[in-house]
Amino acid sequence: MAQFRSEATASASLLTNPAKLIDSVETFLFDCDGVIWRGDVLIDGVPETVEMLRSKGKRLIFVTNNSTKSRKQYGKKFEMLGLDVTEEEIFSSSFAAAAYLMSINFPSHKKVYVVGESGIQLELKQAGINYLGGPEDGDKRIDLSPGQLMQHDPDVAAVVVGFDRYINYYKLQYATLCIRENPGCMFIATNCDSVAHFTECQEWAGGGCMVGAIKGSTQREPLVVGKPSTFMMDHVTSKFNIKTSQICMVGDRLDTDILFGQNEGCATLLVLSGVTTLETLQSADNKIQPHYYTPTISELLAAKDLANGLHSSLL
Amino acid sequence: MCPSLAFVAIVEKNSVTIAICVAPIRTLTSPLLRLSAASPCGTKSTVFGCLLRSFENRELSVRLRSSSSLDARNSRGRMNCCAQVGAEAGGSAPFLTDHTTLIDSVETFIFDCDGVIWKGDSLIDGVPETLDMLRSMGKRLVFVTNNSTKSRKQYGKKFESLGLSVSAEEIFASSFAAAAYLKSMKFPTDKKVYIIGEAGIQLELKQAGINYIGGPEDGDKRIDLTPGQLMEHDHDVGAVVVGFDRYLNYYKLQYATLCIRENPGCMFIATNCDAVIHLTDAQEWAGGGSMVGAIKGSTKKEPLVVGKPSTFMMDCLASEFNIKTSQICMVGDRLDTDILFGQNGGCATLLVLSGVTTLETLQSSENKIQPDFYTNKISDLLAAKKVTTNA
Repeated sequence: MAQFRSEATASASLLTNPAKLIDSVETFLFDCDGVIWRGDVLIDGVPETVEMLRSKGKRLIFVTNNSTKSRKQYGKKFEMLGLDVTEEEIFSSSFAAAAYLMSINFPSHKKVYVVGESGIQLELKQAGINYLGGPEDGDKRIDLSPGQLMQHDPDVAAVVVGFDRYINYYKLQYATLCIRENPGCMFIATNCDSVAHFTECQEWAGGGCMVGAIKGSTQREPLVVGKPSTFMMDHVTSKFNIKTSQICMVGDRLDTDILFGQNEGCATLLVLSGVTTLETLQSADNKIQPHYYTPTISELLAAKDLANGLHSSLL
Repeated sequence: MCPSLAFVAIVEKNSVTIAICVAPIRTLTSPLLRLSAASPCGTKSTVFGCLLRSFENRELSVRLRSSSSLDARNSRGRMNCCAQVGAEAGGSAPFLTDHTTLIDSVETFIFDCDGVIWKGDSLIDGVPETLDMLRSMGKRLVFVTNNSTKSRKQYGKKFESLGLSVSAEEIFASSFAAAAYLKSMKFPTDKKVYIIGEAGIQLELKQAGINYIGGPEDGDKRIDLTPGQLMEHDHDVGAVVVGFDRYLNYYKLQYATLCIRENPGCMFIATNCDAVIHLTDAQEWAGGGSMVGAIKGSTKKEPLVVGKPSTFMMDCLASEFNIKTSQICMVGDRLDTDILFGQNGGCATLLVLSGVTTLETLQSSENKIQPDFYTNKISDLLAAKKVTTNA
């Protein structure tokens, strides 16, 4: 079994021997946006690649910072795209937020204020955690006439912030009041991604936007549960009883996916089918180097025809 | 803990004679000393060098607030400077007790507005009388606000509606600062500005002859992220200006993000980064810092801030009125904008507790920004009215 150093200090190499990489790990962790799909469009060669890896006995796990859906909703998305992936194989940052609150025994009489979409609400509901806010507050307007006061629930003990296409000033102010005025109120971010491929056509301002807004009004740093924080990795390795040295993390974003993998000592493979270009990877400003890079995950299919049992350590 | 001190020292250095009288902090009736030095070639560094050396052995550091330079108009080369002496390490700003000396030591007062003059649309008690008194004492009054929702002209109308006689020329809003900055760097006439903000920014840009798009009109636009959706954006946008925006939505955030990330050289300008403000008199509301934070989050870029504490507006008004910053007292309610703004510019600084800052925050060990003085509200200055002689 090959050991991976936790930091690749040399420049990333183009993946030329996929069979060797595949044989050296037992689990593949895939990011979703920009790796499996872009928006609602599957990236070429993904179904075949997933099938091939399963046929070689590899465990597949999907880890996404996109908090707009719950694990269950992601399961349906995979199904709709013709991929056989179960809910238990999916770890979304919406789930991570709920899992975190459960892990710290969030009091049952307290509530969460949600700046985000239904994915977060569904995961909180699943975990038995009370919440308010979310999409329902998307139509609320602020009245700033003299004497106007916004009331807020003093039982809110955590604000969870994720991507929110229905963001508005009402939500920003409500969240700000909770964090500033409710003693001990936590500020939790599902992720801080600056942009993401919410549709296949272009990059869209991501969760980092909403989190940045609340950082600006509260002057506080959030606790981030999504990548590159290791919370989801710890959860996955604990649940499946796997060593991180046995994992290859595959993603399209250097400062979340690759850093996530590196922080825990996994092998790391960057794909260029998402937000990162070869130019960015090779730029002098970039300090994060994965072990390997490749155009899309379907490049792994080259391993399909090679015999099993290659024994060699990775460089 | 620095001791209070009481001594008199006469210092002579390089033909500069300085008489210094320092008394224990609590007994100081004139904490602001006026030092006079006659010298054919005195310089600031020489004077301050003397002061510092005289205090070296007393384990006391001197905070010298003012900047001064030889008064070229005085043929005898007389130099005047003001120095506040006090315990520095471990000490918090003193409560203002000698109002007359402070007023006499400056010729201009700069006032922040939210939390100093008004809260929302309600005037703070005693403001009209205070402004009248200062004007009657010959002081120039300037109003500098980070609130970019109105233009200077609109602020003029707000003052008028509150019964205060203040002209648009005496008002410097961060909406004006954004337009003034773009003019100062000769923003190309074939380029446009995308606005995340309110009418104040639009009006100032229009006044400056700068093309713009965005603003309140984009407040009703929705993004649904349906498959195949693509947002087009104007490639002639050469700057995004971000200020407080109660109509913020995802359309604006994405439009601004695209401009900054994809239009080569597109500037990211913030009117201000205030975390919270008294938009109504009833409570604090998330401020411009929220909108700016959002765009920082999606672009990973730092904005150029034209409002306080950046000294851009200070430079504008000092140049416009031909005043020395050492002749200014900055009065505000916020440490990290108003007081820092005053300090950065070399002014005297007075914090009022009628706005966002409490005494507890001012005196907390985490607070690193100490004004020269603090007081409850600006009408405390009215105590100077009763004094018949100067200090």
